[in-house]
Formats: sequence, structure tokens, C-alpha cells
Amino acid sequence: MKTPAPNALIGGALIGGLAIVAGIGAVWTPFDPLQLSFRAKLAAPSAAHWLGTDEFGRDVLSRLMAGAATSVWISLLTVLLAVTLGTIIGIFSGYVRGWFDRIVMAFNDALLAFPGILLALGLLAVVGANKYGIIVALGIAYTPSVARIVRGTVLSLREKEFISASRVMGNSEAFTMARHILPNCIAPLTVLATSLFGWVLLAESALSFLGLGVPPPAPTWGNMLAGSRPYIGQAVWLGIFPGLCISLTLLGINLLGDAVRDRLDPRMRGMR
Amino acid sequence: MSRILASAFMLAVLASPAVAQSVTVSVAADIRSINPGVNRDDNTDDFVLQLVEGLVGYGEDGTVGPLLAEKIDVSADGKTYTFTLRKGVKFHNGADLTSADVLWSWNRYMDPKTDWRCLSEFDGRNGLKVESVEAPDAGTVVMKLNQSTALFLDALARTDCAMAAVIHKDSVKADGSFDKPIGTGPYKLGEWKRAEYFTMTAFDGYSPLKTDGKRDGYLGSKRPLIKDVKFLIVRDPATVKAGLISGAIDLGEILYSDVPELKTNPKLEVAVASNAVRHAFLIQTRDPLLKNQKLRQAIAASMDMDEIVAAASSGLAQPNTSPIYPGSAYFGAVEKQGLKYDPAQAKKLLQEAGYKGEKITILANKRSTVPSFPAAVVAQAMMQAVGINAEIEVLEWATQLDRYNKGNYQMQSFSYSSRFDPALGFEQFAGPKDKQPRKVWEEPQALALIDKSMAVADKAERQKLFDELHKRTIDEVPLIFTFNGLDVLAHSKRVKGFQPWQSKLRMWEVTLAN
Amino acid sequence: MLRFALTRVAMALPTLLIVAVSVFVLIRLIPGDPAQLMLGDLATPASLADLRAKLGLDQSLPTQFLIWIGKVLQGDFGQSINSQQAVLPLILSRFWVSAQIVLTAVLLASLVAVPAGVIAAWRQDSTLDLGLVATATLLLSIPTFWLGLLLLLFFGLKLEWLPVVGYVSIGDDPWAGVLYLVMPILTLFLHEIGVILRMARASTLEVMRLDYITHARAKGLSEMAVLWRHAFKNAFGPTWTLIGLVLGNLLGGIAVVETVFTIPGLGRLLVDAIFARDYPVIQGCMLFVAFTYVLVNLVIDLCYPIFDPRVTAE
Repeated sequence: MKTPAPNALIGGALIGGLAIVAGIGAVWTPFDPLQLSFRAKLAAPSAAHWLGTDEFGRDVLSRLMAGAATSVWISLLTVLLAVTLGTIIGIFSGYVRGWFDRIVMAFNDALLAFPGILLALGLLAVVGANKYGIIVALGIAYTPSVARIVRGTVLSLREKEFISASRVMGNSEAFTMARHILPNCIAPLTVLATSLFGWVLLAESALSFLGLGVPPPAPTWGNMLAGSRPYIGQAVWLGIFPGLCISLTLLGINLLGDAVRDRLDPRMRGMR
Repeated sequence: MSRILASAFMLAVLASPAVAQSVTVSVAADIRSINPGVNRDDNTDDFVLQLVEGLVGYGEDGTVGPLLAEKIDVSADGKTYTFTLRKGVKFHNGADLTSADVLWSWNRYMDPKTDWRCLSEFDGRNGLKVESVEAPDAGTVVMKLNQSTALFLDALARTDCAMAAVIHKDSVKADGSFDKPIGTGPYKLGEWKRAEYFTMTAFDGYSPLKTDGKRDGYLGSKRPLIKDVKFLIVRDPATVKAGLISGAIDLGEILYSDVPELKTNPKLEVAVASNAVRHAFLIQTRDPLLKNQKLRQAIAASMDMDEIVAAASSGLAQPNTSPIYPGSAYFGAVEKQGLKYDPAQAKKLLQEAGYKGEKITILANKRSTVPSFPAAVVAQAMMQAVGINAEIEVLEWATQLDRYNKGNYQMQSFSYSSRFDPALGFEQFAGPKDKQPRKVWEEPQALALIDKSMAVADKAERQKLFDELHKRTIDEVPLIFTFNGLDVLAHSKRVKGFQPWQSKLRMWEVTLAN
Repeated sequence: MLRFALTRVAMALPTLLIVAVSVFVLIRLIPGDPAQLMLGDLATPASLADLRAKLGLDQSLPTQFLIWIGKVLQGDFGQSINSQQAVLPLILSRFWVSAQIVLTAVLLASLVAVPAGVIAAWRQDSTLDLGLVATATLLLSIPTFWLGLLLLLFFGLKLEWLPVVGYVSIGDDPWAGVLYLVMPILTLFLHEIGVILRMARASTLEVMRLDYITHARAKGLSEMAVLWRHAFKNAFGPTWTLIGLVLGNLLGGIAVVETVFTIPGLGRLLVDAIFARDYPVIQGCMLFVAFTYVLVNLVIDLCYPIFDPRVTAE
């Protein structure tokens, strides 16, 4: 086996760093991320507050650390939900085809055509505006794109020889799907999942900006970024640090995603 | 290259002669219509009321005075109002104002087909009924009511009723549909490009009530001294700020937090004024937990108003825990005595209330026009500091309003719109919850006092009633008033004489220096 | 070709019906209604009931739906509750504004990002690849409301090259109109480069590992020829499909850019309508966006053979 590519190493380092920060942030932060301090409003980065303070005098570093845990958790669960639901729907409708496929895809396309914000607003109103509400709302909003891509992959595979061979050999449909179709979906899914992860990190800040205001009470990078905007002239660090965190996380996820895909892609087995 | 082009572009703008005479004002939303008092919101009222006027209007301190009327005589039984019209008043189309126009306008408003927003205030459904309106001669209008009330003229002057503005009958097309407002206001309607801008131009034939240059609410001196005013719709406060700095916008509302920065700008001036909007934390007195008065008092005592207000208003506002706004003629010594910050007392009250750390949720929204969210954040911290398990739930505004109307909440960070008369200010949050779940306070004695204040006309007697109501509000804590709304605007130093008042962008008596 | 197109349009009809029903139900599930918002804290139970009756909101949901859908089938999308304008002309005029921005930005972004993505994939794991991916990721992760504001402060305030606020239609004054569109287009352009570059790179990577590339290389074709004749052309197909998805999504998501740059576009119309619970406008916009989405993807599919040699060959 070849040594990992430099991209994979950089990606691994970024995600490893993120995991450590999120892990520490979940149990300990330099200051209480919710503690207000009116005397230290909008303080620039200093020895006491390494990354400065926000408009309520809360320590930005502490909020970023606490936010790392929340943001990563929300994004992970959302992606997991969307990928699980989307894969199940996509595989079934692609494999079963017929009227089942047509109905499912009509619904799927309808959902795809919905602007995300309307869907998120509607679903949030139904499930409640809290951390899990956001996960459910965004998870459902992103399910159709996963389903569409998985279905496309299944359609292109199902006529291939090894699938028919599996059937001829007397393997059950379920076994065929699990053994042969699922692994082939992993490569496109990895690419999509990494994009989704980034979208979720950002979706929340866009919702916040448009006044949909669905932030959980705890800090997240998304709502820190959205909340920093009025202070772009006076306290630019408020936006730069959460923005950098999101950028670096996305970069890490993408690079790592590439590497993981190369490993998992069945066509790549034994190559390189 | 581009710089040259840009300069050429700037030059072209500067060179046109109209510029020196025109002002661009930013507004956050488009108007809903130009039909007075029909399809409206505050923004629409503000614009329309520069074009049209009513018989009476609000003065600076919220009291009502004659506007198109010269004087108003009230009969001894308080049921007959005789309005004598001012002479020499002209409509935008040059026609003279007569009692026939008043009569025509009134009949149009009272026709259900017009959809006047305030119809129910005058047709008896809410108690008051205007039984007849007559014009004995060209300069006199007589209105007869079914009952005596302290609030008839106030209702006529209400801005959401568009002052029951008198418009010329040519405002309506031959088929009866509304065309455009031909009023008597200082400005005439210009152009309305939906979702982009709306404009108005000075009405040369305007006949002002006074010409001493002193503004008095919707009364006083109202000369249109700028030729063209363009209201540009800009939603993003950050864009407004950039527009003000660049000079593309001459006047506009800014965020509280931008005041320090824009104050140091040599080209700009910042104006701050308090208005009659009241920010408050509403408490659901029927909540199983919060029906306990001691717990509500504990919440009130936990709040350090100075800190809450300073944080929520970026240090621009002063606390006011009274339902009566400071500019009101009824804001006296009693109203200044409000809630006291006393964390030790709060802890003691919590114990007496038998509070065991149950969760209390505060609803808030993130609209940039109200300090709902920042006030909630600070209040939450203060409540937590004395041991109250407070949480914030952020909702989109329409959702929060729905919960408000249904009474479905524990606490919420809310803002009450302007009411100039204190009786209406109290009535806004007090009433029977069975019939109107949105009401916050349903204590029967308090409701009786409010009813009384609406019927009594004597000012001293009303003051006593309001003082009593204020004290009861502080003691029973059905809601906690924090501070009054702020109009925070920045304008180019070229714009002279602008005075913010009750969130209205009054463009009369404003001049332009070059 | 025509039959294919017609079948596709027919297949879209159930989708549009589902959109119509679900939008209708969803916006009524959301708490708050237009009558409450119009009255604010002035609402008495009587005035609320009056206004609801006037707006036809007092009827049962199925009745309301049937009335609405019946009119839609006759081409009448109703009237905005807020501005009392007819919905369809309103949507069309706003759509034109948004479309110029979205189409220009996505077109320009594709011209830059697709070749860049192919090159990144071709040189996978090189420093060049890392640099391109990092740039794309950075562009992707700056929210448009931040990016837009930065551009506004830089080009509008600091350099004074471009107008800061306002909007002039290209039809009214072509030159000024273009000046007002530069920054919104630039904002979307930069953002979409990030999105499209990553897609193009991913689909090229897929193609590069297919057998015929190996064949081509084995045949001794130069790397440039392999890249151009095989990799690039083949990778463009899937990317093209994804660009279609991007276009569809953008029409819904352009609201942010329109807010920052005071553009009277469709995105802002929809968001405002949602906040105001302006049901006829929300319903109309959603149907329209869904229809456009279907149409855009149809056009993309029809163009597919031009870019994908495998499809042409069949």
C-alpha cells in the first residue's frame, strides 16, 4: 500500500485538530461562553481574551470552542440523517423502479424544487426551533439530493453484468443491493456528504441573516458569523475567526473525503 | 479607467440641477399602498400622512389639536362636535377645501366597501358610533355621537386611521376604485416604483397652519422646503450605513451599534430621539408556574434595568418601567418610580414562591428593528444569576406574534406600538383573557380603572387614575416594561433641521444646504 | 427529441401538483397568518375575523385550495395580500431581474471553474490541486452576505467605482443598469466558482479512472490529448447536470444577495412573502420556481448529447 497523499495528511491534520478542539470545548473553555461582561464589550484580541470579545462582552475563543462541539454535532447528525434517508429511498426506487419509483421521484423532485429556506421554516415550525429541530429540518431538506444521486448510480449499475450475475447465482435482492449496489454508491456519496457538511455549517448562518432566526441558545459558528455582520467595521475579528473555522473545517473534510473515497471505491481496489 | 468612468458618473449626477433640491431617504420596506388608512402599515402611514391631512392631528406631546379645522366646539353633553374649517386650504389639484369634501371623505370611509381600517371604531361595534355628519355651511362640519367619550378626537387623529384624512373626490376613479391621494398635505405624490422607491414633491399651494418654523407633531409649521424627496427601499442596515457614508443616501435609520462610528464621520450627523413604543417582557399570568405573583416579583427584582437597557440599546436609551412614555403629558413623578433592582430580595421572593428551578422560556425574535433578542439575552443572564432557570427560544416574528395572540407563552420579549393616550396604552395589554387571549393583565379592578379613564375628560382626575394603574402594574408584574423605542438616524450635514419624532420621517421644515 | 421533451414536461405535471399541494399545506401549518401580521398588536378578535373573512381565510382549507387551484388552471394566480398586485406579472418582472444576475454569474463561474476543476483532477494530489481546492473551499465557505458586504465596502466606499445603493433596470438605462449589477454578479460568481470547481473536479476524477482513459494513455496519446479529448468532454456531462441543479437552487437562494444590494428580485419577493405570510405570492412563487427548475433541467438534459460523446454515439 502506498503512503497517504499529502492532501490526505493535511485533511487528516485539520479534522484531527477540529476533533480535539471540539472535544476540549465540550468539557472546558477558558471562560464561560455565555457569561456576559458589559465592561469588556467588543474588546480587541488581547492577552486576556485571545480572540477578543463580542457585543455582549463574551469571550470569542470560548464561544468558538463551545461552538465547535455544537456545530460539528449538528452537521454530523444532519448529514447522517440525510444520507441514511436518501440512500434508502434512492436504492429502493432505483432498484424496484416502476410506479413506486415514479411516485417517489415525483415527491423527490417536488422537494428539490423547494427553496431550502421555505422548507426549513416550515419544518422548524412543525418540529420546534431548537438544536434537534434544525437537524431534522435541514436533514429532510437535503434528503432529496442524496436520493437523486444514489438512484442515478443504481440505475446505471443495475444492468451491469455483475448485478445480473449475482441474481443468476440465486442471491436475494436484498443481498444484491447490500453486497454490490451499496458499495458502488459510496464514492459519489462521499463527495456529496462532504459538500452537505459544509452547507449545513453555512445554512444556519444564512437563515439567521434573513431573519429566520433559528439559532440554538448555545453558540454555533454559523450564528456567530451571522451575528458578527453589523460589527464588520468596528470589530472585524468577530466574523473572521468563525469564518476561518468554517473554511478550515470544510477544507479538511474535502481533502479527507477525497482520500476516503479513493480507499472505498471498489473500482480503485487493488489499483494505485 | 474605471475610476474615470466612476467620476464621470458622479459628475453627471452632481451636474443635474435637481440634485441640490432633492433628498434621498432610506426606508426599510416598501409602502403597501397609497390609499389612506386602507392597506397600511406604519411605513405607509408615515408616507401618506405627508400627502394628506385630517381635521385633527397629534401634537408633539401626543395631545390632539386642530389641523384642517380652525377650532372645535364640543357641546355640553359631549356628544356634538362642531368643526370650523380653516380658510384658504387647497387640495393638490388646486380646488378649495370645503365642508362638502369633508362630508364626501367621511362617507367614503364609512362605506364598508372602502375597507377603512378604523371603520369599527366609529360604527358602534366598539361602542362609539358617529350617528350623523352634517355640513350646515361650506366652512362647518357637525358630528353627532351616540355617547360622550374622552377619546373621540384621539381616534380621529390616529395615524393608523390615516387621520381620517380629507381627500378630494377626484382621488377616486369614475368606477369608484381608488386612484391616487389628492390631499391637502405639504407634499404631493410623485412616482412609485414598487420594491425600488417612492417619491413626493413639494406642494407650492400648501397652506400651513403656522409658518414660524416650529414643528409640533403633525401640527405646527409644516412648510415643504425641499423640492423632491425620494424614499429608497434598502433593507440591509449595513447597506444603509454604506450608502450614508458614500453620500448616496442623505438620511436614514441606522443600527444602535453604528452610532459611535457614524458620529465621528465628518459628513454625517446622528439624531436620537425616544418615542412612544414600549419594549417589555410579557409574562403569562395564567401559566401554572408564573401565576404565582411572588415569582413574577422575583423576576422583576432580578433585573438590573440600567444594564439591560444599556446593553439592548448600545447605551443610547434610559430605562422606563412605566407603561406611560416619558414624552407624554401624563408622565409625572409617580411614573418615574419604577421597578427596583434587588437580587437579594429576588432570591428571598423565589424561596417564598416555592420555586424549584423549573424552566422558564423567554420567546424572542431577531428583527433588526426591535431589541427583542439582545434584551432577552441580558435578562436571561440576570435571571440566571439569582437562580432562575431561564431559557431563550428564538422565533420568526410571525410565529411569535401568533403565540402572542393566542397567549401561548411563559415570557416573551415584545414591543408595543405607540399609543399616545395612556388609557389606550393600558388598554393595549389589559383586558379579559377569555375573550382576548393576547391580553396580559386581567385583574378586574385594574380593568375598571382603565374603563373609567376612558370616560373621564378632566386631566387631573385622569392623572390620578393613571398613577394608580402604574403602581398596580409595578406591584402585580403582569409584564415588565424596560425602555421606550428609539429613533436613531444619521443624515448628511447638508440636511438641516430634521427632527425625528415618533418614528416619522417628517420632511417638512427640512432644508438643504449646499 | 421533441417527443422526449414533451414526455418530460408531462412527467413534470405530477411534480408540480405535489409542489402545489405541499406548499399550500406547509405555509398554513406554519404559525401566524397574514391578517395577524397586518394588524400587529392592534388586532382585536373582531377586526381579525373581519380581515380573515375579507381575505377568504375563514373558509375551510380544502375549499381554499380548490378555489386557488381552479383559478391557477385558468392562468389566474390571484392577487398579493400585501401589495394587491396581480401575482403572475409581479413574479415575471422580478424573475427577469434575478435571472440576469444568476445566469451571468453561473455562466462566468462555469467558464472559470470547469477548466480549473479538470486541471485540479488531472494533477490530483499535486500542490496545484491543493491550491485550487483550498481556494474553492475558501470561496465556498464565505457566506454571500459577508462577501457581498466586503465587496460593497471595497468597490463602493473605498474605491468609489460602483454605486452603493439602489437599482436601475438595464431597460431604462443600459450603462447605469450594468453598474448596479456588477457587485451582485461578482458576489455570486465568486461563490459559485467554489461550488462548481469542486463538482467539476469530482466528476473528472470519476472519468479519469475509467478504463478508456487508461486505454487512451496506453495508445500513446499525449496527456493533453487525453485530457481534452476524453477527460474534459466526458466530465462535462455530469458537471453540466449539476450546473442545472445549481441554477434551480440559486433562484431560491438568491435572496441574500438581493437583500445586500437592494435588488428587486424574485428571491427577495419570496422571502418577504414568507415573512408576511402573503399566501398567494408564496404559492405563485413556489409553483413558478418549481416550473423553472423542471424546465432548466429539461434544457440541460436536451443539451447533454452535445457534451457527452457516449450519449451521441447511441
